[in-house]
Formats: sequence, C-alpha cells, structure tokens
Amino acid sequence: MIGFYTLWKREMVRYLKGSLDTIAPPIISTILFIFVFGLALGSRLGAVGEFPYIQFMLPGVMMMSVIMNSFYNPAYSVFQSRWQGNIADFLASPLSYSQMAVATILAGMCRGMIVGLIVLGAAFAFTSLPLAHPGLMALYLVLVSLAFASFGCIVGLWTKGWDGVNAVSIFLLDPLVMLGGVFYSLEMIRGVPILEVLTQINPFTYITGGFRYSLLGIADTDPFVGLGITAMLGVGLLLASIALFWRGYHLKH
Amino acid sequence: MKAERIAISFQHLHKVYPNVLAVKDLTLDIQQGEFFGLLGPNGAGKTTSIQVIAGLVKPTSGQVIVNGLDAVRDYRRVHRMVGVMPQEEVLDSWFLSVREILVYNAGYFGIPAREAGRRADELLERFDLGEKRSAKVSELSGGMKRRLLLAKALIHNPEILILDEPTAGADVALRRQIWQLMSELNAQGKTILLTTHYLEEAERLCERVAILDRGELLAVGPPAELTRSSHRDFVEIELASSAPRDLKLPGLNYTVENGKLRLAGTLEDEHVLEVLNALAREGVKISAIHAERARLEDVFLEITQGFRK
Repeated sequence: MIGFYTLWKREMVRYLKGSLDTIAPPIISTILFIFVFGLALGSRLGAVGEFPYIQFMLPGVMMMSVIMNSFYNPAYSVFQSRWQGNIADFLASPLSYSQMAVATILAGMCRGMIVGLIVLGAAFAFTSLPLAHPGLMALYLVLVSLAFASFGCIVGLWTKGWDGVNAVSIFLLDPLVMLGGVFYSLEMIRGVPILEVLTQINPFTYITGGFRYSLLGIADTDPFVGLGITAMLGVGLLLASIALFWRGYHLKH
Repeated sequence: MKAERIAISFQHLHKVYPNVLAVKDLTLDIQQGEFFGLLGPNGAGKTTSIQVIAGLVKPTSGQVIVNGLDAVRDYRRVHRMVGVMPQEEVLDSWFLSVREILVYNAGYFGIPAREAGRRADELLERFDLGEKRSAKVSELSGGMKRRLLLAKALIHNPEILILDEPTAGADVALRRQIWQLMSELNAQGKTILLTTHYLEEAERLCERVAILDRGELLAVGPPAELTRSSHRDFVEIELASSAPRDLKLPGLNYTVENGKLRLAGTLEDEHVLEVLNALAREGVKISAIHAERARLEDVFLEITQGFRK
C-alpha cells in the first residue's frame, strides 16, 4: 500500500503545488458563471419551479466543475508522464497496473471533489441551498468524479499531444455538459426544436438532474436513473482504464 | 565467475517493432554477481533487451528470467530486485526537488517515508549531491543529473543493477567517478548489466561482454578471451643493425622491412622472447621495442563489420 499511497500523493502534490494554475482557475470561472448567469441574468429569468434561477443553476455549475477537474487532472498528468518519460518510474516499480490506474484516478477524483466543494462553499456567499439529500449528493460527487477521472486517464493514455486533451474537452465534454441541463430545465426548453431532443437523449441531463435533486430536492428527471448511469459510467471507465494500463497501451513498446 | 546462480537469463528473446527487427532470438545468461557488458552500435538491440526487464517493452516472443522469475509475468517481484539507470536524463522534474525524487521513488518500491528519507540523504551524500537536495532538476549540471539517475536506481538497494549507457556524454572525471562507483557496487555483490558504446569502459570493468549488432548476438566471452581470439596483437622491434637474410622464426607471422621486424597474430610472451633470443644469437642489436595488444575495439569492429558484410 505504500507504493499506491506514494503515487496517489505524487498526483495530489502535482496539482496542489501548482494550485494557482490548477485549483484557482476553475473556481474563478465558476464564480463568474454564478455572477453573470445567476445574479445578473437570473433575476430576469425568474424562478424555475419554486427556486430562483441562481439556486436552480448552482448544482449544474458545481457538477460541471467536478466533471472538468476530475477529467483534466489524470488526462494531463498521464500524458505529461508519458511525454516526459518519467512514466518509467512507475512502470519499472513493483506497483501493479491496477494500482497505477487507481492511484491516478483517485487523485483526479480528489481534485474534482475539492473544487466542487469549494464552489459549493463559494455559492453560499451568493445564495442559500437547502442541501436536501446530502448522502445522495456525496454519492453523486464520488461517482461523477470516478467516471470522469477514469475517462481522463483513458484520454491521457490515448492522446498523442496536449491538444488531444483539449479536443476531447471541447468536442465531447463541453457539448454534453452544456446540453445536459446545467443552465435550463426540461420545462424551459419544451418545444424548442433540436435542443429538446438533444437534451432528452443526453445522459448528462440525468446526471445533472439527479445531482440537482440531491441539493434542491426537486428534479425533472429520475434521480436514480441518473445515479445508475453515473455508476455504470464510473465502474465501466475505471475497468477500461485498468485494462489499458494492464495492456501497456501507449505505455510499452 | 563469482557465483553459480543465474541472475538474468534471456531465453530466445525476440522483439519486432513495426518494420524493424530489434532483437533476434537472444539467448544469454548472466551470472549472479557478474559485471556484464552488452556492446553494440546504435540499433543493436541493447536497450530493447534491458527494457523488457524494466517493464517498458513487451517481447514479441521468448522471455527474460530474473533470479528464476519471468520478467513479464512476475513483473512486480522482478522489479523489486532490479534497479535501472536509463540512458536519457528522464526525471520527474516538474515539481519535485532532487531529494523528493529519491524519496518518491523509494515510496513506489514500498519503502516507508522515514527510511526513504534516510536512504535518500545517504545516497545524496555519497554521490556529492547533498548541497542540491532542495534544488530542482533544471538547476543540476549534466553530470549531477547522471549521478541522480544512478542514486535513483539504487534507492531500493536492488540486487541487480542495469545501467544503460551510464557514461554517455560524461566528461572524463565523471566517467571515472561512475566507473569507481560501479566497481564498488559490483564488489559489494551486485550483479551489473551495463550497455555501453565505450569499449574501453567494457574492457576495464566487465568480466564478460556480449557483442550485438542489428538484434543478433555475435560473440560472448571475457574481453581478454575475445581479444586473444582476434589474432591482432602486434610487436615491432627496431633493429640497430641489419638482420641476416636467412633469419628463421618458425611458426611466427613476421616481416622485416626498413630496419623493423614486425610480429602479428596471437602473441604470447614466450613468442617475443623467442624472437629476442634468435636476434641475440645472430648478433643483431635492438634499438627499441613497441608492443600493442589487440583491443576490444579491434575485435568489436572485426566482428560487427564481418557480420554486416
């Protein structure tokens, strides 16, 4: 376990030492979202159900920051170690391939959850949230960060350059998150062509909806469907990451 | 040879990269406690062969057995026994200090933090890096980086040390320092597998060497034996007076030209004595003697060039 702990610690130290570059930017951008969409525009959008727009939006914004930070940490770290060559330190050690994958993913999950909780704390500076189901919220945080840290690990192994990580974020994650009900409810887009269909078939809608339920106690999707999707993604992508490490995908010649 | 047990056994190791045959059916045993050299020009397959042990290359077929364990199947146990110093200056340099690099590497090998710190401090002092313990890798000179790489390979006190071109690019002083360190480690009982371009290094340090080219093993043996088999020793005797025309030195390959008698081939001391006695008997005076043993470099060139033809 010392080897596993050391690798996890290395991954944590990697982003905590550069926290001005890693932790601060997502927090600042999330606060800007809250400020612009929640406070400036929210008052004109009125209430969504029984909640003012800013309260409705916050769980989605928090989820977005958890997803992105969980994803970026292992994606950049794994690619950086491959690119720099110091991945050999892990590969030539007695760490098992599953320990390498899980330690990397766990550190990504920690970053996602740290940023998510800071955003939640910051949100209380602007408004209040009922925290309707804290246990479910914690479960969502763990499973969402597991799924996207595992996905980041896979992308870090797959990519041939830094741009690959950004491309996956821009072409895949951003559209899924933006069209996943972060800023609107299904009711608000009822009848809007394309957007309604895209939102309804997007699994992120159920993840965001479920997480919103855990915080606010209201949902326009079944929170347990969202939980099931998140759990399946989490476990599936974790196993896929371990399998890729085991195969030495882009690690061994 | 210091021990009977085999430390590393390459068994029909074969590695093909897309369109490139890197290692061809390599079968070779290295004994425990041995100082062994893998020699060969660029692209000979030296690094690929040792990277199989380090878990960085998957063999196409064949296997490498380390102290009785398969390097691929039992990689975790094999890695505990092996320290690898890579050819490139690859260090986890971005956010860790010199000391932290060693401590973290010890951690990957399951060494508790306190013991890891103690070993790191000891190695930093031993390798003259004590003053740089808090520095970043970017602040180190090339020689310091090489010493740090060696310290990193030793942090878990491995039985087997694999050094891939450890003195490449090192200046004379550093090269001698690394030679000294390697000799000390071997004297402590560690098996050392060295790859090198520097034949002088192999000749000076290795008990046995293997010569590889284009993935094929061409020769194995102690450097002295390989050089003896090359028949390239050379002795030149400058004559102060002319040699008699009917001078006979049976069984020796020699020429007399411009007042110089040249002997070539595999020459033992008695051969030279025999010639000197024959010249003395004939009353020929000698003004100088130059002798040159065949060097590993000659053997290496002979073998690899012969192979390429």
